[in-house]
Amino acid sequence: MSSGTEHEDRFRRVYAADFEPLLAYALRRVAQPEDAADVVAETFLVAWRRRRDLPADAEVRLWLYGVARRVLANHHRGGIRRQRLGERLRQRITSAVGADPGSAVPERLAVRAALARLGELDREVLLLTVWEGLEPREAAEVLGVSPAAVRTRLSRARARLRDLVGDDLGSPGHVLDVLTAPAPKEGR
Amino acid sequence: MTEEHVDRLVRDADPYRPGVIGDLDGAKQALLEEIMSEPTLDRVAETPQPRTRGRHGLVRRFAGALTAAAALIGILAVSTVFREQPDDGPAAPADTAAAPGTAGAGTPVVYSPVALQAAERNPRLLIDEPGWKVTTVYGFAEKQGTIAFRNDGQQLDMNWYPADQYDGYHADRLHVSAPKAVKVDGWPGDLFRYSAKDFAVMLRPRDGVFVELRAGGGDRTEFDRILTHVVRVDVRTWLAALPPEIVTPARVDERATIVLADIPLPPNFDKAALRDLGTNDPYQFGARVTSRVGCAWIAEWQRAKRAGDDAALRRAADALRSSHRWQVLHQMNDEGDWPEVFWETADKVAAGDLPAGYDQALGCA
Repeated sequence: MSSGTEHEDRFRRVYAADFEPLLAYALRRVAQPEDAADVVAETFLVAWRRRRDLPADAEVRLWLYGVARRVLANHHRGGIRRQRLGERLRQRITSAVGADPGSAVPERLAVRAALARLGELDREVLLLTVWEGLEPREAAEVLGVSPAAVRTRLSRARARLRDLVGDDLGSPGHVLDVLTAPAPKEGR
Repeated sequence: MTEEHVDRLVRDADPYRPGVIGDLDGAKQALLEEIMSEPTLDRVAETPQPRTRGRHGLVRRFAGALTAAAALIGILAVSTVFREQPDDGPAAPADTAAAPGTAGAGTPVVYSPVALQAAERNPRLLIDEPGWKVTTVYGFAEKQGTIAFRNDGQQLDMNWYPADQYDGYHADRLHVSAPKAVKVDGWPGDLFRYSAKDFAVMLRPRDGVFVELRAGGGDRTEFDRILTHVVRVDVRTWLAALPPEIVTPARVDERATIVLADIPLPPNFDKAALRDLGTNDPYQFGARVTSRVGCAWIAEWQRAKRAGDDAALRRAADALRSSHRWQVLHQMNDEGDWPEVFWETADKVAAGDLPAGYDQALGCA
């Protein structure tokens, strides 16, 4: 039988490995960056309380995304309470993120506005794929739907976004390509 | 625009930039320590317990009968006496405030003989010092129960267990630290040190139960100081010291009527049996009542399915689906995750899929 200490050690490892991905996940989905601290705190608190039945290593991050998703849903319903945990993280985020000039580029705003117009599940499929870099099977796990449904929705989300962004930005030109092209690595 | 183009646009619109947060200045580690120092009431085998209280977090209780209980790491527990004023003002010492048979606000309370008889087997502990407020209560129907107190940044939890589990718990605590002999209200126990600001005392069994007290937020000197204020009281005093919102045995019928007002009851549901739920704060009471109802509807759903009784199957599914409108769950939703777990399970069953582990999730016996 696993001892309590083993469960605690496992939780520490999970926290160390998945803190940043979870923080990124939360920051991407809250209106006020500092609210990400509450989402991260609540998500890991759930994991701590359930540390005896955390899924296997390969699945644990997906499970955490799923928990965070429910926490966020609650947050968006206005139901989340300001955590007394994570106050320091909240302060750090507030001071660090407040002045990110990159967040106000018009093209990005237009894309985010278009994303906001997608259906919730379609949007989440697209974001999990592009922002979190998940495979359809993995996104399916997070969302509790079938991989086939993820593929269908992904295709639909891309098409819909293309239409929406096309209206706002016109055809994407070389400027965007330049912005997003990988930097050449010298000496390789 | 190709799919790659679309993905590139989306990627570029990602509001998260690695490094944007920069140095977290220890905030990551600080949060870890905060989370891991949260009381985790699911550490021991107990009766099914929906969750811990608090403004967060879910604890699924893995129902009873864990024979390995003795080997599990234990819980926090502390006993205190407290009394909360109805106006949320400072707590008064129990010895001056709580006359037997008198509720906190001076309202006379009549306890049923059965409830008292059960409770009197287990005198309780209180913190006889102003400022302590009860934040969580559950159990106390038999030999187990939990009560948590908070006073500014300090927390004191007390857990009662059957005496036959003492040896197992005690052996487990010996892995925490070397024991130091202490006394609480004249009764001997062992003090264990989890960290510089986290201590527990396990009192020797008496009258078929033992109590473990655990406090965080103060150093050893402070812990010792608090222990000097812990006193043993009879159950009437203890019940009288509980804030009025706590569902004591005397308040079960009244509170159950309110909770069940908009909940469809399963066939043969025994409302009177709710009287065995012990003493619980409103969240815990709501969880226990909805657990009984939810489990009974799921059992009815299973029966109807086996019997091919389509009408009954539909009724059960409708009832479970209606849980999204049950007021008690909405009232609880700000305090913890029990409603979410309930709805998740109820929705799956209503959709025809009995999820594995539903009985553990909902605390079905």
